[in-house]
Amino acid sequence: MAGICLLWNIPNSLVAQDCSVIIRGQVLDESTGIPMEYAGVYIQETKQGVSADSLGYFKLEKVCSGRYHIQVSHIGCENENLYIHLTRDTFLYILLHHHAELLNEIAVHGSRNDNSTQIVNSISKEEISRESNKNFAELLEKIAGVSTIKNGSGIAKPVIHGLYGNRIAIVNNGLIQAGQQWGNDHAPEIDAFMVDHLTVVKGAGALAYGGNGLGGIILAENNPISPDPHLHGLVNYIHQSNGRGHTVNAQVQQHRSWASWRLSGTFKAMGDHKTPDYFLTNTGKKEKNLGFQLEKKWSDQWNSRFQYSLFTAQIGILRGSHIGNLSDLESAIGRPIPFFTKDQFSYQTESPRQSVRHHLVRLENKLFLKNDQVISINYGGQLNERKEFDVRRSGRSDLPALSLNQFSHFLEGIYNKAGNPGNLFKTGAQFNFIVNTNDPETGILPLIPNYQGVTASLFGILQQQKDKAQWEMGLRYDLKSINAVTISKTLPRTINRYNPLFHNLNLSIGNKLQLEPRVNLTTNLGYVIRSPEANELYSFGLHQGVSGLEEGNPDLRQEKSLKAIASLDALAFKKLFFQVVGYWQYINDYIYLQPQKEYRLTIRGAFPVFSYLQTDASIWGFDMMATSEWNKHLKSTAKISLVSGQDRTNHLPLVYIPPPQVQADLQYSFGPNGVGSNSYLSLQGKQVFKQNRLEAGQDLLETPGAYALFSLEGGTGVSFNHSLLKFSFQVENLFNTTYREYLNRLRYFADEPGINISLRVNYSF
Amino acid sequence: MLKSFYLSISVFLLTSIGCRQEDPVIPNEEELITTMIYTLTPANGGTAVTFSFKDLDGDGGAAPEIKTAKLIKNTTYTGALLLLNELVSPAGNINEEIEEEGQAHQFFFQTTGNLAVTVQYDDLDTHGNPIGLRSKLITSSASTGKLTITLRHEPDKSAAGVVAGNITNAGGETDIEISFNVEVE
Repeated sequence: MAGICLLWNIPNSLVAQDCSVIIRGQVLDESTGIPMEYAGVYIQETKQGVSADSLGYFKLEKVCSGRYHIQVSHIGCENENLYIHLTRDTFLYILLHHHAELLNEIAVHGSRNDNSTQIVNSISKEEISRESNKNFAELLEKIAGVSTIKNGSGIAKPVIHGLYGNRIAIVNNGLIQAGQQWGNDHAPEIDAFMVDHLTVVKGAGALAYGGNGLGGIILAENNPISPDPHLHGLVNYIHQSNGRGHTVNAQVQQHRSWASWRLSGTFKAMGDHKTPDYFLTNTGKKEKNLGFQLEKKWSDQWNSRFQYSLFTAQIGILRGSHIGNLSDLESAIGRPIPFFTKDQFSYQTESPRQSVRHHLVRLENKLFLKNDQVISINYGGQLNERKEFDVRRSGRSDLPALSLNQFSHFLEGIYNKAGNPGNLFKTGAQFNFIVNTNDPETGILPLIPNYQGVTASLFGILQQQKDKAQWEMGLRYDLKSINAVTISKTLPRTINRYNPLFHNLNLSIGNKLQLEPRVNLTTNLGYVIRSPEANELYSFGLHQGVSGLEEGNPDLRQEKSLKAIASLDALAFKKLFFQVVGYWQYINDYIYLQPQKEYRLTIRGAFPVFSYLQTDASIWGFDMMATSEWNKHLKSTAKISLVSGQDRTNHLPLVYIPPPQVQADLQYSFGPNGVGSNSYLSLQGKQVFKQNRLEAGQDLLETPGAYALFSLEGGTGVSFNHSLLKFSFQVENLFNTTYREYLNRLRYFADEPGINISLRVNYSF
Repeated sequence: MLKSFYLSISVFLLTSIGCRQEDPVIPNEEELITTMIYTLTPANGGTAVTFSFKDLDGDGGAAPEIKTAKLIKNTTYTGALLLLNELVSPAGNINEEIEEEGQAHQFFFQTTGNLAVTVQYDDLDTHGNPIGLRSKLITSSASTGKLTITLRHEPDKSAAGVVAGNITNAGGETDIEISFNVEVE
């Protein structure tokens, strides 16, 4: 489903049930176009199989005409499933996702075929479903330059090139994922099982999506449902030893004459995680998710896609990390074992905990006009309900301490004109409306006020191919209004209204140059103006996460960012692929939270006041990745990422910048011995260095030391009766190492989880 | 086609910007502790003195009001703590909530400087451990310093030294932490 299949019918006499049909073809790597030698091609119905030659060519003879499921496999690739109606001799070009790390295809402009000048990296469906017991954000850590900011193992959000939260947009099938992006303890509400493709756009130029993507954009996408009239599906089960977790996911899909549909459901339950020495009490999690997709082709000119998804989660937060004031924090820091640690494992989650529900509806309509013109009109609606429970007095622990409802409506119209390959013009108008409301059931003055946000946007993107160079230019304008109503902190409680209006502008220029065959240099320059969000402007209250009084600043100006990024992608000696990405970002009026010298006295003692201030900042770094295939069986990958951030006004390093990191994988494959039974064994190592750029006093505690982690993974599969059964295992933190992560808030209180053994079964039919 | 789309978007936008949002419901902050009054009555007769902390608008907002008093040396006082929520009307008595959940609460009294004052517990929860709503304060020589009163929610009363009033191993969350300047003369 993931690749693209071109059918070239060679005229031949058409005879009913002709059993002398020949299928020939070539298997190629989608990202590089290199032939995939010795790929396996297998017809499920007839059990005929063949291996491709050293140039990727294959030939299957004496096939009867009819409808067939064909499966194509290759070491280190995702299996490709095709459904064809065979009537005569046929030639197939089959493209496999081989180097997912290098894929440069993606839908930055809406269609896989668009060859964009953006710098992107993606993760395949196979990798996603193998590790979807993890959080959505943790999956993205596979990509060099992406890390996560966490609040324990249950809550993770992605960091791209040192930026996160309000500065990153997560696009779920064309729709910007709404929710409470402002909180570091608010993870994106997406079930990774429902995603076929995860892509990270590292530049700032994916203008069709907008949404403040200063740092980058994450695209979660589903493939179109394959035009196969049979019922297909898969079942995943993952058991993990740490947290004694169970994850089950089932997906079914079918193409019928009236429409194509897909249904997916996920259930996850895990209990307390364990460090090498003790249980992390109250770190369990439950998740129940549902997804439905319907595709209807009304005519050759018009097709529609409807999507609904529901994400629900109950997440426990380490009991020992819940603190009332600064003295609590001081006594919790530096304890060998956190307060409230229990000797027994439990699946129960008690306060502090989060309960989240997210509904998403999307309707997409595509109209295909003459001369490769496409108009799409899309609607997206989201409802995000978030409740956070603290430990409270007199049974109030069952009352949320934070209760937010966010409604959003998104409407867009996009015009797309594709010319010759590499030429494209795209323009669109978008309208977004958000209502964020606090439920007064909390009995606490809200940290962020009720607000409405209205954004109207226009954008245009032009791509031109000139000889070996491809150019891209984009322009986007957003008119954004916020309508906030705050409650005063002084008595009598009064209501204040704010209604600022912002004009945001995004500009992007990109170029992709073919220096040599298979050597590309991609450069992108993006200018983004981001207006402050409601939390930065108007939040006020005690923020447990930062142990201080957080104070918004209604006078904040817009952030202005210029990001230059360049990527060199090359294939050398047919076996060595590498990508080097370098970037430099200059942000004026960078908004950040700064603890003030002033302490404010409350009944719980004195708290520092954290104010939103602005400064000028720079962020620079590089990501490097190299993949080498030593022979038919052995493949290795190495990744390095380094990022640095500096506050240029105050001459201080920026906080929350991920430490340098090096990763290496070595994979040995036993295939291909029959299609689908792609057995492998792989060893991974990761070295994370200490973040030692910070100066004394920039953090409550010294940053954690360097650590090395290893993991071992292996899998095999058997195919029978048109179905495939795969088994795999993974041992993470192989040596049960005790360590702490700089970007995890829980590092003040507890160690990271120890060894974790996952056993996985995947059945697809 | 495009023109009309842009046009409809701008009309939509202009109408929505004009939309006025409803006033938010102000939450009923019944859990808040605005006031703590520590009343000390000399055990063998005399005038009672009070130490008090009032922050009527809760965290942030206006600064709290703190009142202290002078203590007499070599005197035993009977101490009573009163916790109120004066933001709601009538004022909520938080003592009742603390007593009800006595096992989950404990006050700690710590002195700094040369302050010659010791505080003993004078009440028990249902497990026979101290709470601290009632106490005995004993002064010795003339001195000055700080008396810090801390209320912990869900402390580990079985940890070493906790029932004796040592806060070090208590854990839990702090609901109250107030320091009073004290002079014994």
